[in-house]
Amino acid sequence: MILLQNVHKSFKGQKALDNLSIEVKAGEIYGLLGANGAGKSTTLNLLLGFLKPDAGAISIDSKNVVNCNMIGYIPENVNLYPYLSGLENLDYFCKLAGLKYSKTELYRFLLECGLQAEAHHQRTETYSKGMRQKVGIAIAYAKKAKVYLLDEPASGLDPLASNELSELLKKLASDGATILMASHDIFRVRETCNRIGILKHGKLVKELHANEVSSNELESIYLNFMHN
Amino acid sequence: MIEIFLNEWKGFYRNRLMAVVALLFVASLALVTWLGVVQNQKQIESQLKAHRHIRAQWDELETMNPHKAAHFGSYAFKPNTILNSLDEGVNAVTGKVLRLEGHTQHDLVYSEASQSLLVSKFGKLMPSLLFQFVIPLFLIFLAFNTYAKERDSGRLKLLLIQGTSLQKILFSKILSIWIIGVLCLIISILTQVVFNGNAFHADFPLRMILMISSYSLYYLIITTLTVLLSAIFSSASVSLSTTIAIWVLWTIFLPKIVGNAVEKLSPLPTRVEFQKAMDEDRSKGIDGHNPSGERKKELEKEILAKYKVDSLSQLPINFDGIVMQADEEYGNMVWDKHFGKLYQQMQSQKRNYQFSGIINPFASLQNLSMGAAGTDMFHHLDFLKQAEEYRRVFIKTLNDKMAYGGSKTGDWDWKADSEFFKSVKDFEYKPISIKTIFPKYLTDILVLVLWAVVMLTLVNYTSKRISIL
Repeated sequence: MILLQNVHKSFKGQKALDNLSIEVKAGEIYGLLGANGAGKSTTLNLLLGFLKPDAGAISIDSKNVVNCNMIGYIPENVNLYPYLSGLENLDYFCKLAGLKYSKTELYRFLLECGLQAEAHHQRTETYSKGMRQKVGIAIAYAKKAKVYLLDEPASGLDPLASNELSELLKKLASDGATILMASHDIFRVRETCNRIGILKHGKLVKELHANEVSSNELESIYLNFMHN
Repeated sequence: MIEIFLNEWKGFYRNRLMAVVALLFVASLALVTWLGVVQNQKQIESQLKAHRHIRAQWDELETMNPHKAAHFGSYAFKPNTILNSLDEGVNAVTGKVLRLEGHTQHDLVYSEASQSLLVSKFGKLMPSLLFQFVIPLFLIFLAFNTYAKERDSGRLKLLLIQGTSLQKILFSKILSIWIIGVLCLIISILTQVVFNGNAFHADFPLRMILMISSYSLYYLIITTLTVLLSAIFSSASVSLSTTIAIWVLWTIFLPKIVGNAVEKLSPLPTRVEFQKAMDEDRSKGIDGHNPSGERKKELEKEILAKYKVDSLSQLPINFDGIVMQADEEYGNMVWDKHFGKLYQQMQSQKRNYQFSGIINPFASLQNLSMGAAGTDMFHHLDFLKQAEEYRRVFIKTLNDKMAYGGSKTGDWDWKADSEFFKSVKDFEYKPISIKTIFPKYLTDILVLVLWAVVMLTLVNYTSKRISIL
């Protein structure tokens, strides 16, 4: 479970998060929508332990200290080691996490995350952004984490791959994972998430259930908040 | 940590540009090493040839007056070793040949610097140049971006969230780059050893250990510093500029500044001043109240009394030989007094320079490199000391022959046979053992170890405090 309670964070006097409270339960996918600078990445960085809040409390699975073993993270731009293949990158990051998988298992992770078999042995310097993103997803997926923090995970993915990602995240959630996804992509958030929060100037201005609204309705709610 | 280390090496191996640069570097390293070997062998051969020639001239001396032979003199050769080809040290300036003659102590001559304008202006391409300048620079270029590229690409977050620590990342990167420097060093030294296989001596392994350890420590310092600055500064170009600035300060400016400062602290007399003071003491007496004429009269009285005769012509020996030896011994006292003072000043200069390692580890490295190669001031002074000891025995043998060999006072035409000259032993330099001289380098070793510990501690401290965003 992810819990942010009355979190404040400022950078050089500029408020990035203002009394933010979010709760994401196990098995839930929470979508965080917001414009650039709304505080989405700051929220993720606080959860990842790369930033400390000025005030408020943050806990993951009821623990205040970040436990990397239970977190899977997918950044907006997955920068892999260009001289390694997709398979080697996945193997390397898994080993860093103390996970030793057989080649067959690594292939399976990559395939499940949508990376074509013929690309597994190619160096990632030849990969498109979307292909790198898929390896990034596989790295997080292979950790079999309890909590997933995603920063624009579908960035650079084609519609098919985006759809496959949504399906993968739903599968993970149904297995009990807690997922927080920051994005600009209203449609993808609506399709993937159970609950959605709209951030503006570091404040959570709206929270709603995805099944309560259509994509179009969500877009107009979002734009309405952005214009006001 | 091993995973990060292996991944770094895979990166170096698979990076084409890096592979080309590394190949060129290793090729130039091999070339310079080979040139050094060839040059050293040539020097060893020409020195041996000259030595044999000088000795043959001495052995072939015809019957001659021993005093004339003392002026004919001989030469002391400072032997060339495989280690000299790694670091030439002060030899290039001081030379390796010392003329040995009666009455006077000569300076070393035939230094390479004095024989080649090109060498003195630009320096020779020696392995020590690669070890001290090129390899560290190579390490700087490998290390300056190693952390920044992880941070700037956002990959650092991915690494950290996999459970590894910033501390492990930094230390693995330092280790992977440092080992490249150590490998370059070992390859170069092994090449020397393979091509100079016959030039070993008992001290060689210990000296090699000292040399490799010193360079390894310095490479660790320079790699750690570069990675540390790369972690502290948010821009890779700023960290590179800062590292290069420090490197230039260490290798170019500080040695010159400190060199001038230690000269000011313990100034040495000029050659003219030194020689003038020696001449003065020799003619007036060390205390200024015992001129050479007086000394001669006293000696005459003493010898006449010893042999219970009234005049020099009644002596069964040649008084001229005794006078010359007495003068020689007095000259030795004068030399000991002046050179002893000079020796102390040079030791003091060297000691002060060693302390500059506290602000400049490069100074400690240079001291240790020359020390391990046997080409520093301490070794040079030891050679001068042994050569002077030999000169004294050599001249005394000739003077004693003149005095007690059968001639009479005033008989300057008397000649010793060639068998006598052949029986005079040649000078053979016994290199000082590294175990004996080791305590003199403790300051340098401690300073390098201290620098390495401080640098690693700073990396450890920084890894817990810097922002990774």
